[in-house]
Amino acid sequence: MSYSETLEQALIVVRQQAVLMQKCIQQRKLMDALKHASMMLTELRKPDLSPKQYYELYIMVFDSLSLLSSYLTDNHPKIHHLADLYELVQYAGNVVPRLYLMITVGTSYLKCTDSPREEILKDMIEMCRGVQNPMRGLFLRYYLSQRTKQLLPDNAIEFNSNFVINNFIEMNKLWVRLQHQGPLKEREQRTKERKELQILIGSQLVRLSQIVDDNLVIYKDNMLPVILEQVVQCRDVVSQEYLLDVVCQVFPDEFHLSTLDSLLGSTLHMNPDVSINKNVLTLIDRLNGYIDRKEQEQEQDTIQGNSNLFEVFWNYLKTLNEERPDLSLHQFIPLVESIMALSLRWYPDNLSNLNILYGFTAQKCRDYGRAIPQNAEYLFANLLILQNFRHVNRSAALFYNIISQCDAFRELLSLQNMVLQKNIIDTLLDILLSASRENEILFVIDSKASLEKLLSVMEPLIRFRVTSTTRRFSNDALGLSDDLTEDEEGNSSWVLDPSQEKLAQFCHLSLRLLPIECKQYLNVENQVEYLLLLRNWYYRGDKNIKYTYPAIISNFWKLIRKSYLLKTRQKLSRKTENDYSNMIKQLFKYASRCINDLFNVCGSSVIDTVYKLNIQSASLADQLSIGEIAYDFFSQAFTVFEESLSDLKTQFQALVYMIQSLQKTRSLYQENYYDTLIVRCTLHGSRLLRKQDQCRAVYLCSHLWWATEIAVIGEEEGTTADFYREGKRVLECLQRSLRVADSTMDNIQSCQLMVEILNRCLYYFIHGDEHDTHVSVKYINGLIELIKTNLRSLKLEEQIPEQQQSTTRLQDLHIDGQDSTELSSRKKFVMGLDGTYIEIPRTNGSPASISNKLNSMYINEMIYIPLEHFDRTCEYIVNQREIDDRFKVIVV
Amino acid sequence: MSLFFKSPLDIEILLDGEESRKHVEVSNNTASNTKALRDRLPLYEDGESISGIVTLRVKEGKRVEHLGVKVSVIGSIDMIKTHGNGNTGSSKRLNNNSSGFSDARKNTVEQFLCFSYDLCPAGELQHSQSYNFMFKDLAKRHESYRGKNVDVSYYVKVTVIRKSADITKLKKFWVYLYNNVSLPSSVVVNQRQIENGEENRLARIEPKPVKLDIGIENCLHIEFEYSKSQYHLKEVIVGRIYFLLTRLKIKHMELSLITRESSGLQLSNYLIDSTVIRYEIMDGSPVKGDTIPIRLFLGGYELTPDMSCNYFNIKNYLSLVIIDEDGRRYFKQSEIVLYRSR
Repeated sequence: MSYSETLEQALIVVRQQAVLMQKCIQQRKLMDALKHASMMLTELRKPDLSPKQYYELYIMVFDSLSLLSSYLTDNHPKIHHLADLYELVQYAGNVVPRLYLMITVGTSYLKCTDSPREEILKDMIEMCRGVQNPMRGLFLRYYLSQRTKQLLPDNAIEFNSNFVINNFIEMNKLWVRLQHQGPLKEREQRTKERKELQILIGSQLVRLSQIVDDNLVIYKDNMLPVILEQVVQCRDVVSQEYLLDVVCQVFPDEFHLSTLDSLLGSTLHMNPDVSINKNVLTLIDRLNGYIDRKEQEQEQDTIQGNSNLFEVFWNYLKTLNEERPDLSLHQFIPLVESIMALSLRWYPDNLSNLNILYGFTAQKCRDYGRAIPQNAEYLFANLLILQNFRHVNRSAALFYNIISQCDAFRELLSLQNMVLQKNIIDTLLDILLSASRENEILFVIDSKASLEKLLSVMEPLIRFRVTSTTRRFSNDALGLSDDLTEDEEGNSSWVLDPSQEKLAQFCHLSLRLLPIECKQYLNVENQVEYLLLLRNWYYRGDKNIKYTYPAIISNFWKLIRKSYLLKTRQKLSRKTENDYSNMIKQLFKYASRCINDLFNVCGSSVIDTVYKLNIQSASLADQLSIGEIAYDFFSQAFTVFEESLSDLKTQFQALVYMIQSLQKTRSLYQENYYDTLIVRCTLHGSRLLRKQDQCRAVYLCSHLWWATEIAVIGEEEGTTADFYREGKRVLECLQRSLRVADSTMDNIQSCQLMVEILNRCLYYFIHGDEHDTHVSVKYINGLIELIKTNLRSLKLEEQIPEQQQSTTRLQDLHIDGQDSTELSSRKKFVMGLDGTYIEIPRTNGSPASISNKLNSMYINEMIYIPLEHFDRTCEYIVNQREIDDRFKVIVV
Repeated sequence: MSLFFKSPLDIEILLDGEESRKHVEVSNNTASNTKALRDRLPLYEDGESISGIVTLRVKEGKRVEHLGVKVSVIGSIDMIKTHGNGNTGSSKRLNNNSSGFSDARKNTVEQFLCFSYDLCPAGELQHSQSYNFMFKDLAKRHESYRGKNVDVSYYVKVTVIRKSADITKLKKFWVYLYNNVSLPSSVVVNQRQIENGEENRLARIEPKPVKLDIGIENCLHIEFEYSKSQYHLKEVIVGRIYFLLTRLKIKHMELSLITRESSGLQLSNYLIDSTVIRYEIMDGSPVKGDTIPIRLFLGGYELTPDMSCNYFNIKNYLSLVIIDEDGRRYFKQSEIVLYRSR
């Protein structure tokens, strides 16, 4: 009998013959039914079908044969004897239909109680050898397996397992053979087909797992060795990978636990192309899942029994390393990773295991000899930051423990290339810092040594320099902007560097994670020690300290304040109080050292910062009433100002900052510190380059002679008597600044400055008596008069261009045809605190344009700046008359 | 002849107990070769008596004069061709009365059995009359056979001898020779073995399994093995094929049973092979180390046991045929002995 030409025809034939067969069954014509069955089965001889097509045929045939099978069983032995039929069907001339019929009859016979089950089963499986074509053989054996599923003899576990294993082995052989069918160029196609068929073979292992149930002895002694032998012997990559995976999946965890050695051992003998790590990964996943399940069932005790699990894997790893030096890093490192996952899951407290693995990997790294290829870098990164560990809570505490307990961690890290190290440390820092963000249980950095370990791990980042070569290479990875410029003198501009900021954050965090001592002083002392340690490490970062030192310094400040609070709030023994005092002094010295270091290392790029840090330290010292120290910091600030601050604007701003800090000081009155400082400050103000800056600086300096209340330290205007006030000097300042204002060539600026001075005068007029402040009504009236005169001449200046401009403006109107009122079309200008002209944008959101110089084009609009300011001031004076009679004498 | 002359006499031969006797269906491979025709013949064994009734029916109102009525039992070997190639038609006829044979082309080359006696003396038949006849304990040398070139036929022949043409009637029957002596030793040995366990291994004489080691150098090397070389007709051939080396891309493998009929005045004059069984035993291409089982039930087929005599012999061969993917056939034949047993 021959099969159809095409699949469609084959399907039709199968369908037709199935119908005919059913009819014959209904009419109880067994022989005819068998004949149709045989014709139907002939289609299964058809070659050149893809697995899916063949499966389609198979399924149809299977269903029809099920009908036949039940008929056969039902009528035995009344109408026929199945033993006879079993012989009869063997006359079929072609082997494939013959075997399908044999299995159908044989299994029908198995359902009958009187059948010699084992003989039939043995015979069927033996005869299946007749089909050596891979695909047809696979399906035939799958048919055998499906048919016998429920029919294997009871209580014959050994026989049954041998039966299924036998089938499994033969199926696997056929499966492997499929790979070598057809021309060589279709190899990939074959592999694809094989993967489509894999479930047929896998199902045998599933059957085995059902048979073996929970009988570990049989599994261990009879089943697994045979399975593994077959897997190893077939030397086929697809097969080995798949089957080992299935073994790991289908048998219970307890089995794996007691057969780990053989499972792992078998992987040593696999085809070199097999990715062993996949299988081991599956296994470890299973074992980790096992813990999860057991935990759900709360059977903790069973787990404790297997304390050597890590040992097993570790020994395996060592053996593998020796026997398979050919394994690529891509194979090997994930293996290490998965064992790490296992250890973390099973023995979360035993980090020495991790240390072993890190050490091992580091050795592997060194043995690699060459530089690690770029495409393998991520493997190590995964290992170091436990990237893929589903079962592990990657908490800050965990990493802290790893770093502090696993010395090899750092070793391995240091073997990576710089960019990678930096990325890893970045991630580590993110995780460590998350401890401060989330409400998780904080870990404790228990000793300086531990902190040192953390820092030594971070050292590459601390030292990391973005050089032009690494930058080009790492731009994508780091997200650094290209506009980072750095000239030879080290004047790198201030670029945001998230990594360095993390280091700064870490500095804050680590001080919170100290072990708590019962004595407060010891706590502080510890913190100081830690902070100094941090400072020493960060110092290695060279210019990077500009990112990290501010954090260090502010932590010194924090500690200073804390010490001060501890000192003043508690009743302390004299000795402790002294200790605190010394401590505070010492801390200031440290802070000063830091500021100096920052200046020395980073130079002009951090001048502004250094200046401010000095002033802030000074303020702090002043608040703690340590005048000498405050003075020292102020004088340092002046030094910085004098020696290094050269930028005009910064100078002015720096002075403003100085003035406001000095004005609040209270501890500098001894030894004329204050006097020295404010005189110097005023002097600097009057020596600024631009007149307008001079003017403003000087009138602001006037406040230095007029201390005002600071409520937090209990001062109150009117009650406190000893404010540092010297009205004469105030007036001098105002007069001097007025002179400067008057001599300013920019008319508008000049008027504006005068109005500003007027405002200062009014301030002093309100806040002090005339004889105290020496700011008299006469003076004010004179000033108002002067301003008025100047404004008038300013108005005059406006006249001429206004006519000109009004014509052009009319033209504009014609052209625009929209802005009907002059007001809305007028540009609006204001003046900044430092005298810049700022054009207020008419639409929301657009940026304001700022210029330093007067622009004649908009002279008319700009004239309104001092005009309106003066108007507002006058209005204020008029309003003030209602509550203060003195204002009535001021002539507006 | 009977077409032209209506015979004045009908002869009917009835064998005793014919209805209840076992019959054998034999394909009637006449020249026309119409498949459907099958003869159904009563079966006799060697040494079995053959008896029956001959009834002579005279047509109403007719008289038939005769010179006597004779009954004979005849066994003959008939052939189409007796000589070598191309030497047709020149066979020596021993007996011209061949009109009743299954194949008109076949001529008797030897009558190995011929017993006859008179049923009645010469006289005149006026009405129907019956006569009993009996050939007691008739020895039958050959088994009936109906082959391509050779037949072995048995029949009972009744002849009414007349002055003019004799009136004859044949009654064919079929003969099986059961051979129980073919392999007695093996059975005995097997029993002995069972009784004495394995110690008596040396005592084993038969049956030797048939083992053949065949191959094509560097291409195919197989070993095949049948459990024995002699089988009775209802037996099962069991064996296996072991692939030691295979570089062929095998499509499938068949086992055939070939019956070889050699005949002629010299035995080798005519060799006619007919494939009686074609049985696929393997689908696809095995690899080194694979073993393919063989199991062939013979009982369902019409087989001819081995035979041998002066004019012809029948031999059976098992042929293993391997067909590769390019359609090339590789085969190996090995002789097996088939015998009939009860």
